[in-house]
This record gives sequence, C-alpha cells and structure tokens, in this order.
Amino acid sequence: MSTPTQANRALSRSHRMSDQTCINLLVASVAVLLFLVASLLVPNFFQWLNLLNLITNNWAVISLGVGVTFLLVSGNFDLSVGGIVALSGVLAVWFAQSTGGANELASGFGLPYWLAMLCALAGALTIGGLNALFVVRFRIPSIIVTLGTMMLARGIAQVVTQGSQRNTNLPADFGLLGNMTLFGTSVKLPVVLMAILLVIAVFIERKMVFGRLTYWIGANPVAARLSGIDKDRHVTYLYLFSACVAGIVGILLSSEFKSGYSNRGMLMEFDALVIALLGGVAIAGGFGSVVGMFFGALILAVVTSAATGLILSPDWQFILKAIAVFLAIMTQTWALARRNR
Amino acid sequence: MMSPSSTLAHSAATRAEQIAQFLRNYYIYFVLAAVVVVLSLANLDRFDLFERGNFLYERNIINILRVSAPLLTLAGAFTLLMVSGYIDLSVGSTMGLSAVVYALLAINGVPFLAAFGITMVVGAGLGAFNGLLVVRFKITPVIATLITLSFYKGLALLLVQDGVSAIKSGGGLKMPEWFNSYGREGVLLGLPMSFWIAVAVTVVLVIAQNRSLLGKYAAATGGNPTAAKLSGINTGKIVFLLYGIVGVSAALAGIARSSFMSLGDPLSGDGMELNAILVVLIGGTAFSGGEGRVLRSFIGALIIMALTIGMLTIVPAYFQTLVIGAALLTAAASNHLISRKESAS
Repeated sequence: MSTPTQANRALSRSHRMSDQTCINLLVASVAVLLFLVASLLVPNFFQWLNLLNLITNNWAVISLGVGVTFLLVSGNFDLSVGGIVALSGVLAVWFAQSTGGANELASGFGLPYWLAMLCALAGALTIGGLNALFVVRFRIPSIIVTLGTMMLARGIAQVVTQGSQRNTNLPADFGLLGNMTLFGTSVKLPVVLMAILLVIAVFIERKMVFGRLTYWIGANPVAARLSGIDKDRHVTYLYLFSACVAGIVGILLSSEFKSGYSNRGMLMEFDALVIALLGGVAIAGGFGSVVGMFFGALILAVVTSAATGLILSPDWQFILKAIAVFLAIMTQTWALARRNR
Repeated sequence: MMSPSSTLAHSAATRAEQIAQFLRNYYIYFVLAAVVVVLSLANLDRFDLFERGNFLYERNIINILRVSAPLLTLAGAFTLLMVSGYIDLSVGSTMGLSAVVYALLAINGVPFLAAFGITMVVGAGLGAFNGLLVVRFKITPVIATLITLSFYKGLALLLVQDGVSAIKSGGGLKMPEWFNSYGREGVLLGLPMSFWIAVAVTVVLVIAQNRSLLGKYAAATGGNPTAAKLSGINTGKIVFLLYGIVGVSAALAGIARSSFMSLGDPLSGDGMELNAILVVLIGGTAFSGGEGRVLRSFIGALIIMALTIGMLTIVPAYFQTLVIGAALLTAAASNHLISRKESAS
C-alpha cells in the first residue's frame, strides 16, 4: 500500500519549515523593494505616515485574509467573506434601529447595540456553518459553495436594505466602535484589533496543535485522515472562524460609516484571495503563512497606491492585480522547484 | 460511470428503477414545464411588464428568449469545459471585453460581418490565453481564470475613455442601424439573429459532443485524466481547444448583449460566470467532470432566464441576488444527492 509513504511525505513537508521562511523572506523583500522603487518614482511616497496608511487603510482586507489564508492552507477556498461583511453590517444596523421609524428602511428591531452585534455575528456564523455543511458533509467543491453563499449573504443584505442602505434612527453610540481612536494617536480601534488578530493567528499557526494540523490536512488529506485527524470538524471550525472574522469586520465597518450598505465589501473576497496568493500561500493547500499574507497585502497596497500616484487611470488596478498574482505564482513555483531540486 | 452498473443490474432492473432512470434523464424538461406553469398561474400584473399579465403571451415569450441569447450561447461550451473537469471564471470579463471591441468596431464604421468576425477571433484569443495559463503554465484553473477575469475587465475598462461608462452613440459618432437589429429585430418566428446564433452554436456543440471525438475525449479527460493520458489522448490539446471554444462563445454572448442594449458596456458580463455555473449545475453536469449534456444546460439556461425575468413581476428586483445564490446552493446540493444515489445503485 502506498499510504505509509504518503504519510511520510506529509511528515517531512510539515517539518521543512525552511521553505516557508524562504518564501516569507522573498515576499517581504519584494514588498520592501517595491516600496523603495515607488518612493523613487512617486513624489512624497517615502514617508512614515504613508507606510502606516498603506496598512491602516487595508485593515478590513488584511483581517479577512487571516481566515482565507487558514482555509487555503487546509485546501479550501472561502469567497463568501465579502458577502458576509455586507450581511453582518446590515444586520447590525437593522437590529439596532429603533422601532417605528418614518418608513420601512428607518425602522428596525430596537435591540440594545450589544445584542444587535451578537445577532449580526450569529447571522455571519450561520453563513459560515452553511459553507461547512456543503463543503464537509456534501463534498461539493468549496469554490462553488462559497460563490453561492457569497450571493446568498449579499442577497439577504440587499433584501433587508431593499437594494440601498439603512442609516437612520440609530442609537447614539452606534458609531463609537468603528471611529474610536486609541492611545491618543490617530490609530483606530479596528486597526488595533487587526494587529491583535495577526499576532494570535501567527501564534496559532506556529505554536498550537490546531495550526499544525491545518498544514497536515492541506498537505495530504488522506494521510491526515489515516492518522486519526478529524478533518471534517477541523475544516468546519476554520469556516466558522473565517465567517466570525468577516462578521466582526462587517460590524466595525457599519459602525465606522454609521450605515448598513448592501454593496459594502464588494470584491473584498477577491482582494483577500489575491493578497494570500501574493503572500505565497499555495492554492493546493499545505503551504503558506499569515506573515506572508500580510506582506502580500503590503505589495498590493504599494502597487495600487503607487499606480494612483502616477496618475494612471483607476481602471489599471484590475490589470495590475492580475499581473501581480501571475508573477507571484510563477515566482513561488520557480523558487520552490529550485530549492528542492 | 453509469453504463457498466446499469448493464450489470440490467436483469434485476425493476419498474421503479426504470422510472428513476427516466426521471434522471428528463427531469430538466419537467422543471421547465413546472416553472412555466407556475409563472403563468401567478399574478403577474404587479409591474405591468407582461401585457395583460399573461406569461404565455407571444410578445413576452419573444422578449424572454431574446434577452436570454447571451446565456443560451454560453451554456453549451461551458458545459463541455466542465465535463472535461475544468472551469472558466473569466467568461463575464471576456463577454464585456468582446462587447466593447465589437461596439468600438461598429461605431467606427467597420461593416457587420467584419466586426462580427474580428470579435470572434478576439474571443478565441482570450480563451486560448486562458488555455495557455492552465495547460502550459500549469496554474490551477480557478486561479488562472480569476487572473484573467481581472485582466480582461481592466482591458475593457481601459478601452472606454475616461468619463464615459460605455461605448455608445454621441460625440459625432453614431451606432449603425444594424447594430441594434441583430439583437432585437425578428428574422424568423419573430426572434432575432442573436437567438438563432445561440441555437446554432448549441446544435453544433450537441453534435460535437455526441458524434465527434472532441466530446468523447472531453468526457475521458474529466472522468479520469490519468487514464485518458495513458490511452494516448492529448489532454492538454483538448483542454486548450475547449478554452478556445468557450472564448468564442463568450464573444458571441458579448455581441448579443451589446446588440440588445445598443452599447458596448465593459461591465455587461459581470456575474455571468455565476449564471453559467448555475445553468450547468441545473443541467446535471457533475462538477468533478466526466458527465454532462450540452442540451440539458441549454434547457437549464431557459429555466434560469424564465425564472429571473418572471420573478421581476412577482417580487422587487433586489431579490435577485438572493434567489440566484439560493438556486446555486440548491442545485449543487441536489446534484450531489443524485450522483450519490447513482454511485450507490
């Protein structure tokens, strides 16, 4: 039987962390290099504030990228996060709006804010649960499932907001969470939460059994099952985790803008996937890291903001993203093939 | 997959099994009939879209069929690609880019047939580029076509000058007469050219699937790639060819859409990949590859179009995303249940 060799391969794969470090270093140096090049070409680009802005402006996508990265490592896609962002934001607003407004869009359930947030989170987790149900139980390819749930989540948001947005009759403290600044600086709460999430994610990924199992499952599902790992339960947790992060992002965004908008988070699922791929996460599973994803996000941010600075038409961003992902995938394949020759 | 088990169980086949088999093969026609009956019975006066509230009114049927032309054109080729185990998420962007190219040619005085031909060649090129990324560069189909989704969309947006949302008459340039009539004016049975092209494409692909080696090889590639390769099929070539065919179909779909709307909108194909996947799943194509019928996807496209347009008369437009998402999940789940039953029997 071929099973022992497969298990061995998975074992050696998970121990060969030097590959991971190599790719992370590669991605990080590309990010730094691009930042320096952009500084030469674009006036006023080389500033601390600008570097900080590149990160803080992308807190939502980077946070979503954490869940998406874990799922990719386990060998699954999650394209539903953008839809969940819209859904949870709209639900938070709907539950928090006081009853008896002027029209249908102005009146909600009048729940206290904390309860409204919990209900919105429950809505997000329901979508995550649906993802898990279809992928794990029905064995339907995750790309099709999460495309479906993306439309389902956004569809519910559109029905609740009747295709536009809800932004009236909200409690006074609704905008507090998304706009709160901390430590007397201009750094907002969502950015700090993103940083905390990143640290926790790196810890889980490197030091905890849960994180290491994710790599095993992605590298070789058969071997993982044969060694007694409950793959189904693991993937279910990952989908719930990703949906939970997306739900919180949606709630924070709705608080920041004090509105529940059904088109919010549009294309965010695509951007989260792009930064993970730019960060060297393998589509086949079993390889990649949250650190790489973070630097991937930096690369995308530098490229798009530098392009805007060079007065390229905003239409260029689609082409730039495509070329960046293509180059990232080709480089990763080439670098790993060279190392392991 | 089915044939060996059905021949083995042939002697033991009971009446119930025969009925189940019949339903599996022809369920799609019952679904179409059910959709038409329900929509005919529903109260359709609400938005006064259908004259006298009758779904089966002649002008309404013509209207639905000509709006469906793009999806009908695309369904067949997309099915063959999924049968071979691959997927193309860039069809919407290919459509948008083709629509822009076609409109640009037309508005600058290129005659109909030339513009038509050039756009088809462009579509073939875009499809072949997808094939190149997948076959030569060995990028996973989902990612490769996501890359080109973004790339083609960017190109289409760049072709339309800043400050304008689509190529249309104005600023001294005028769309020729024939541009709009291709997608609207009835030539046979009151239906426009775009619809008959969709029918022609489907007929060709049905013949290709049933009578030519392409259909056999596509099924072999999707059913078991290793076995197909070992038996001497050049799977890379087949996949490359299929991506090209999907590209041409998407270009034709783009032409149909831009003719109907009388403008070259770079975003006119947005979300088309979801509709195509939905249609193919409703048609009973296995997403793991190896199984699927072009004709059933064509009927599936009719169902989806009748549903989406019929729905507009019952519920407000903002219900559409929700219904399509729910339909996609339902189709995927029932597809799974059916295929599980097959493997169990």
